[in-house]
Amino acid sequence: MRLWDIAWKDLKTFLRGRTRVVFSILMPIILMIMLGFIFPKAGGSYGGSIGVYSKDLIFNSKVEKSLSNTAASKMIFYNSRQDLINALASGKIVIGAIIPKDFSLSVALNRSVAMDVIPSPANPQAGIMMSQMLVGVFGSEGTKNTKRNVVKSKLVNADGTAFNYYDFTVPGLMAMIAIMSVMTGLASSITRERELGTLDGIMVTPISRGSIVIGKILAQSIRGIATAMVILVVSWLFFGVKFTGTSLLWTIFLLLLSTFSFIGVGVMFTAAMKDQETAMISMTTITFPMMFFSGVFFPIQQMPKIMQYIAYIFPLTYAADALRKVITLNVGWNFIWMDVVVLICFTVVTSAIATVSFQKLTQD
Amino acid sequence: MNTKKAIVVKGLKKYFKKVKAVDGISFEVKYGELFALLGQNGAGKSTTIRVLTNLAVPTDGYIEVAGYDLLKDPTNVRRNIGLVAEKVILYNDLTAMENIKFFSRLYGIKDSISEERAKEFLKLFDIWTFKDMLISKMSTGMRQKVNLARALVPDPKIIFLDEPTLGLDPVSTKHIRDFIVGLREEGRTIVYTTHVLHDVELMNVDEVAIMSEGKIISKGTLKEIKKHFKKAEIVEMETDETLAKDKIKGKILIQEGGYLKVEVEDIGEFLRDVAKLNIQIRSFKTLEPSLEDVYVELSEGSDNNVEKGMRNTLNEEVK
Repeated sequence: MRLWDIAWKDLKTFLRGRTRVVFSILMPIILMIMLGFIFPKAGGSYGGSIGVYSKDLIFNSKVEKSLSNTAASKMIFYNSRQDLINALASGKIVIGAIIPKDFSLSVALNRSVAMDVIPSPANPQAGIMMSQMLVGVFGSEGTKNTKRNVVKSKLVNADGTAFNYYDFTVPGLMAMIAIMSVMTGLASSITRERELGTLDGIMVTPISRGSIVIGKILAQSIRGIATAMVILVVSWLFFGVKFTGTSLLWTIFLLLLSTFSFIGVGVMFTAAMKDQETAMISMTTITFPMMFFSGVFFPIQQMPKIMQYIAYIFPLTYAADALRKVITLNVGWNFIWMDVVVLICFTVVTSAIATVSFQKLTQD
Repeated sequence: MNTKKAIVVKGLKKYFKKVKAVDGISFEVKYGELFALLGQNGAGKSTTIRVLTNLAVPTDGYIEVAGYDLLKDPTNVRRNIGLVAEKVILYNDLTAMENIKFFSRLYGIKDSISEERAKEFLKLFDIWTFKDMLISKMSTGMRQKVNLARALVPDPKIIFLDEPTLGLDPVSTKHIRDFIVGLREEGRTIVYTTHVLHDVELMNVDEVAIMSEGKIISKGTLKEIKKHFKKAEIVEMETDETLAKDKIKGKILIQEGGYLKVEVEDIGEFLRDVAKLNIQIRSFKTLEPSLEDVYVELSEGSDNNVEKGMRNTLNEEVK
């Protein structure tokens, strides 16, 4: 029965750490509540405007005339593909349809015709649903006496390549992995040093407490860069994520900013924890729900309203949003500046708090 | 703005919620002094060191280290101190030299200078050939030597040594003890904490403060402390024949044939009594109480449970 002795000892030592126990109880509660409430009731709503860029000159007037008022009110026509993409990036529309040159003629002749549909990177589920609706609208209402299934929709990315759900998750995953790697690094960096006594060795030197924190942040950021590079290569090699020169630079910048934005919080948490295990549990309690809340796997727009507000507390939400726009729509500063500003604010505020509170948290 | 005192502590208190780890202690350490802070585990020695080295915030009190007010100018305090704590302050995944260089850089010392100084210390410790060895591969004794070098390379004015010989074998302990004495001879100020009284007596420290339950229960030079608490004198003598017990005025500790160890209240009276017996005395010496005797007595006086196993049997021969 010695194995029970081992188990008993492990459990008893675990229970002796009050913070550890509290976080261990909190984590499943938070996770269950969050996971239970982030999904919409009855499939959710798929509202929003539809963007249309038509290369078919006679299509616009024809569609406008024949569409019902409700459907027409939801449509916004754009003069170029880029305008349509920009509208998607700015969130004005949830889906962008590109009508080919011979669309009207093909429909009139009952010839099969496909339109490209670009779903919003923030809410691809809505895009997928609405693309089906568009097929119905343009295929039956837009023109009379057409055979069913003449009009088809093809879900594409902004660059014309076929869209799949992974295109939605990859950018968020990139940010999340970068953040997670830094968080685990921080937990071991600060708490481990404290356990070993080396943190005392540093703190007894004339170096300022602020420099210690910034040094730690710098080291973790370099780790973050390395992780981000691995993520980029894996995404490009195995998942067909394509980068242009600008989007690659933006991606690297955003991944870095994502890690920066969370490091301050990480420093505060790990500095306050007395041992590595407690630090890891507390970090998991924050980072794990963050994955689900920040729209990495599931669009925020599909969550109940209250959950959407909570989602905007997490920096990962902004990082994932900006990365999605950059990677899937290949847009730049004009469309991601808000996310960047928020992430910079997170970085500055949390790092400042971490620097100021580091001494209090690490001194007895 | 240096003062003559290396350390001035007035009414230092450090409370952890209801626990009074340090409860209003005051002491001073002069420059060039080897000052020992004695006490059993939990007496408050390490907490005192943590406060003095700016690793813990005092609950109350005034602290001046190297002429600087610790609370007002902690950076200058840290610039002038070095710490060797119970835990070895070294990174296992770095080599001895990498560790020393890293910590020296935090004092603003260039690598070339720290390397030179490290060479001096590591050679003195006879571990220069291991300078590129990872700390994780070193023995406990070697690590502690590197640890000492790490603390000394920045050339601090005041060195805090918190139980530096803890867990070391006797040979390493002696090396480190001798080294510390050498540091004092160089004129460095050393604050040394220990519960190994034997070390303190061997190092002949300049001043001792004995702590118990967060308070200083005695302080002064070794001699002053012993003298102050000396209630009886211990006499060890050898005679040709066994003395009758009723002829001896004192508490017999050991009597084996002609050998007698006795605790006497008045040595003059004892000598007069022995002289009257008209016996041949082969040897006679008085033994001063050891620091351990004083320490145990003081600790017991403050209701502390001192481990008897901690006792050493060093006595100083005075005659």
